[in-house]
Amino acid sequence: MSYRLQRMPVAAPSVLFAARVLSVILALLTAAVVLALSGKDPVALGGKVLSSTFGSSFGLEDLSLLFSPLLYCGLAVAVGLRIGAWNIGAEGQFNLGAFAATGVALFVPGPTWLLVPLMALTGMAGGALWILIPTLAKAYADVSELITTLLMNFVALLLVYWVATGPWLDPSGMALATTARLSVSVPYVWGIVHWGLPVALMLAIGLAVMFAYTRWGYEVRIGGGNPGAAAYAGMPVQRHVIIVMLMSGAIAGLGGMMEVAGTVGRLQGGISNNYGYLGIMVAVLARAAPLGVIATAFFMAVILNGGIVLQSQGLTTHTVLAVTGLILFYAAIADEVARYRLIPTTGKVTPKGAR
Amino acid sequence: MISTKSLSRRGFLNMGAAAGASLILPKTGVIKPAYAAGPLAPVAEADAHIAFGHTGPTSDEGWTWAHDQGMKAVEAAFPALRTSYVESIPYSADATRIFRQFVADDACMVFATSNYGDFLYDVAKRAPDVAFYECDGRNPMDNLGTYYVAHWYPSYVAGIAAGAMSKTGKLGYVASFPVPSVYSGTNAFLMGARTVNPEATLQSIVINSWFDPQAATQAGVALIDAGCDVLFGIMDEAGYLQVAEERGAKAVMWNTDLRRYGPNAYISSIMVDFGPWYVEQVRRRLAGEWTPTYDLLPFGAGVDVDAWGETVPADVAAKADAVKASILDGSFNPFMGEIKDSKGTIKVAAGQTMTEEELYHWNWSIEGVSGLDS
Repeated sequence: MSYRLQRMPVAAPSVLFAARVLSVILALLTAAVVLALSGKDPVALGGKVLSSTFGSSFGLEDLSLLFSPLLYCGLAVAVGLRIGAWNIGAEGQFNLGAFAATGVALFVPGPTWLLVPLMALTGMAGGALWILIPTLAKAYADVSELITTLLMNFVALLLVYWVATGPWLDPSGMALATTARLSVSVPYVWGIVHWGLPVALMLAIGLAVMFAYTRWGYEVRIGGGNPGAAAYAGMPVQRHVIIVMLMSGAIAGLGGMMEVAGTVGRLQGGISNNYGYLGIMVAVLARAAPLGVIATAFFMAVILNGGIVLQSQGLTTHTVLAVTGLILFYAAIADEVARYRLIPTTGKVTPKGAR
Repeated sequence: MISTKSLSRRGFLNMGAAAGASLILPKTGVIKPAYAAGPLAPVAEADAHIAFGHTGPTSDEGWTWAHDQGMKAVEAAFPALRTSYVESIPYSADATRIFRQFVADDACMVFATSNYGDFLYDVAKRAPDVAFYECDGRNPMDNLGTYYVAHWYPSYVAGIAAGAMSKTGKLGYVASFPVPSVYSGTNAFLMGARTVNPEATLQSIVINSWFDPQAATQAGVALIDAGCDVLFGIMDEAGYLQVAEERGAKAVMWNTDLRRYGPNAYISSIMVDFGPWYVEQVRRRLAGEWTPTYDLLPFGAGVDVDAWGETVPADVAAKADAVKASILDGSFNPFMGEIKDSKGTIKVAAGQTMTEEELYHWNWSIEGVSGLDS
């Protein structure tokens, strides 16, 4: 008796989960071998990463502040994927959200309770505005959003660099290449962890509920899965594309607002810290499920924070990037492998379609 | 005004170097008396952990490499202590996480070799027992000092050679960000060049990074395409020197001797040496003498022009060397009025001389420099 591989259209959740766990273990083992070969003690380093990340309030604060922007960007990309749109521009929308919120903080006087919600709204509007042209181009002219959203990132980044070093430069001369410290900030919930995190978690749960239990969520899922069938069934696919993509941009923009007004306190180039691009990985690993994004964004935050701990232990950024890449690489392979199963082949030829 | 003069001067005199200038922080903003809390407690050498945070890789053969040499000097002077460093720290909340990690790892002294601003201050505020230094910093705190180099003098001297060797009278500058070190570098360089070529101008291109060899190379190509035949910049690596070598132009570099990347193009470099300064600060920290200082390493003791490149004519070198000698002996200060900004407004009146603080905080371009003022 011999065996052959069969590819399944979808992987069983239990198999997928097992494959994920196995992939992380394999990646860590590979990394451990590489570290041991380069003369480091992988067990001691691993222990250091865990104790520095989970063993102190400093570590948990850092982890939470990484978790929050990854959630926003992961959710932004995941929402887009639900309607079949690849939003590669979360990085730019994140920057624009930070930019718009900073504009409010710098030029609109008012109390914190009024300004923070107003900044959140303008941040969302900024993010949505930044994806508006790619959205309209996709909805009405069938222009691939992959390219248009990506290109808008560079414009957003240069815009932030320009205002932070030019018109909005801190006039005190105390800080270089950045705006003045914002007069209002997102209130803290624990230590230096601000409301950005709980809001992001609520957003993830809210989106999961909307996709699972509302007619709108159902139509979006169908429209993303098979636009032709959805249109044939009378669903307004074009309208859903527009609304969902604008939502995607708004979520990333809100993430940018929380980062500038909660974590960083000033607008400056580099504020996005690649969260927009990391969000793509978060969303893909979560298979665009909002609740899955919570898990994968947390996983990514642990990896990134671990990377920072490893750097302070004398590993170069290149080694850390390689380990990070390795884990994601294995995870991606595991996803694909989980779709295959081994089935025994008998000598008898099974006719097509027969069982 | 903060009276740090005696402190930092004493530090430099102890090192046997020329007196260092101390920096007075800008007139606006909150100025509080620093180190009101008194010196930090001594640390036994064997228990000490000294941490360095860098903006680029230590292999850059430039700025970060020079600071890494400083760390090696500390290791040689205090063999029992522990050092650690992190390279390529972005200007984002990741910087805060890395500096916090140093503190969590029991560092008693942390050097940020670039201006990380609030990303560093947020950590320093919550770690009052740790001594912090920020290179090119501007914010006094009880446990945070700043240090930098008076690079405008060697930039002026190199500018004289550049002006003499430029045929087009157009100088190019690869800038990181429109920040004071770039304003002072471009202005001083053009002022030097104009002593030999009064019609010279300087075009700068901002690439938003201190270490991005690809962008620096592209900027170098664009500047030469625009007619510039001598390039200067404030990059941590040799990218635009190689462009100048290929295109038959000249270049002045920063940080280290990079002539082997472009022997024909190389004019000189703004050389930095932080070693003795680092050793002195670590000694003060271990001995329980440390209070924050605001130090500017002076021309000739921490920052200098490199030996002239092989294609620099002898008479040009002699002329620049004579000016260098007159700056070093105090008989000449290049930064005297009248100086106009790029809009034609007189910013420094005739007869006035810019102070070291004004040079450190320089944030406007002189007439003839383009590409920085927005």
